Amino acid sequence: MKARIALAALVIAAPAGMASAQGPLEGRVAVDGSVAGRCVLGPPSQSAVPLGTLTNTSGPRTGRLATIAAQAINFPGSYCNFAGTRISVSANAMVAADATAPQPGFARAVNFTSTVSNWAAANAVVTTAASAGGATPAAQGPGGTHPAPKLADLTLTLNNFAVPSDLLLVSGGYAGAVTITLGPATP
Amino acid sequence: MRTLSTSLAALLAIGAAGAASAQTTATSGPFPVTGNVPALCAAGTNGSGSGSFDLGVLVNTSTGLLRNDLAAPPKVLTGAFCSSASTITVNATPLLSVNNVAAAPSGFSRTVNFTATAAGWTATAATFTTGAASNPGAVQTRGTAFTGDITVSIGAFSTGGGNALRLVADPAYLGSVTVTLAVVS
Repeated sequence: MKARIALAALVIAAPAGMASAQGPLEGRVAVDGSVAGRCVLGPPSQSAVPLGTLTNTSGPRTGRLATIAAQAINFPGSYCNFAGTRISVSANAMVAADATAPQPGFARAVNFTSTVSNWAAANAVVTTAASAGGATPAAQGPGGTHPAPKLADLTLTLNNFAVPSDLLLVSGGYAGAVTITLGPATP
Repeated sequence: MRTLSTSLAALLAIGAAGAASAQTTATSGPFPVTGNVPALCAAGTNGSGSGSFDLGVLVNTSTGLLRNDLAAPPKVLTGAFCSSASTITVNATPLLSVNNVAAAPSGFSRTVNFTATAAGWTATAATFTTGAASNPGAVQTRGTAFTGDITVSIGAFSTGGGNALRLVADPAYLGSVTVTLAVVS
């Protein structure tokens, strides 16, 4: 309503101005736009981490967790176009599909450490701490804050696989998960 | 004109606020982390010294008949486990004279039967009696993964053909006991 009144005043004033000024007219027009704050994680190099057989099948550690090499997922071309961003990682320990409480001497969980590197000075790190019975598998770890817009290739590394108290593992399928999030440090 | 420029400034301020609130968060995952543990059994190791039950002299030296007080300390298998449901099976062969392998003459025997027991794995111990027509208790099933000691013992000795028979002389009588753990498929 206010705008309409102002425009009407301009229209009335204009003919008078044109009549009195004969030279070129000058004016300034503002050109403005905006860029939304945006974080993007690059396409992951793999969509799953299949580890195969988790235990030794011979030797003195038969039935116990085998040595599992570190696993990596890369996220090339990840970026945030604003300052003050953070990467965080949440993970669920690998837990046996068979939910039966394990007998003494057995576990049904495999814990591991997830690390996302190459964003802030401090990596995002979390180590799951599921119990032998598979309780409390979830864990979350935030990384440091990065003070500027950034474009980088991120790497998620899974390592340090371990069974609570190095117990024997019950047989069957095991499944866990890892999710990473890139966004403002203070949402 | 002043009114218009004021309005533009107000609009710009709104635009900046909008950009700040539109900061997006990117999430990737969840990435499944999977593996499997095969069902398997390990029989453990004999933690009781020698792997043999040493019974000593089998007969009463006065009568030549099988002693009725034969005994041997049990053997304990430690570190045995199965990572899923399992069966335990005990099997045994009777003590037979090793050197004197001829058929025993009338009134004599070259066979000592016994009962072998594997306890600790299942609620009911697995038992096997040599010379018995059948051994329905030789296989026992456990429904869960398990690890624990298995105590293997022998007893209930008897002379093959009847306890009235005498045993033929021989420096060695030899039998065996076998305990088997297997995954229930």
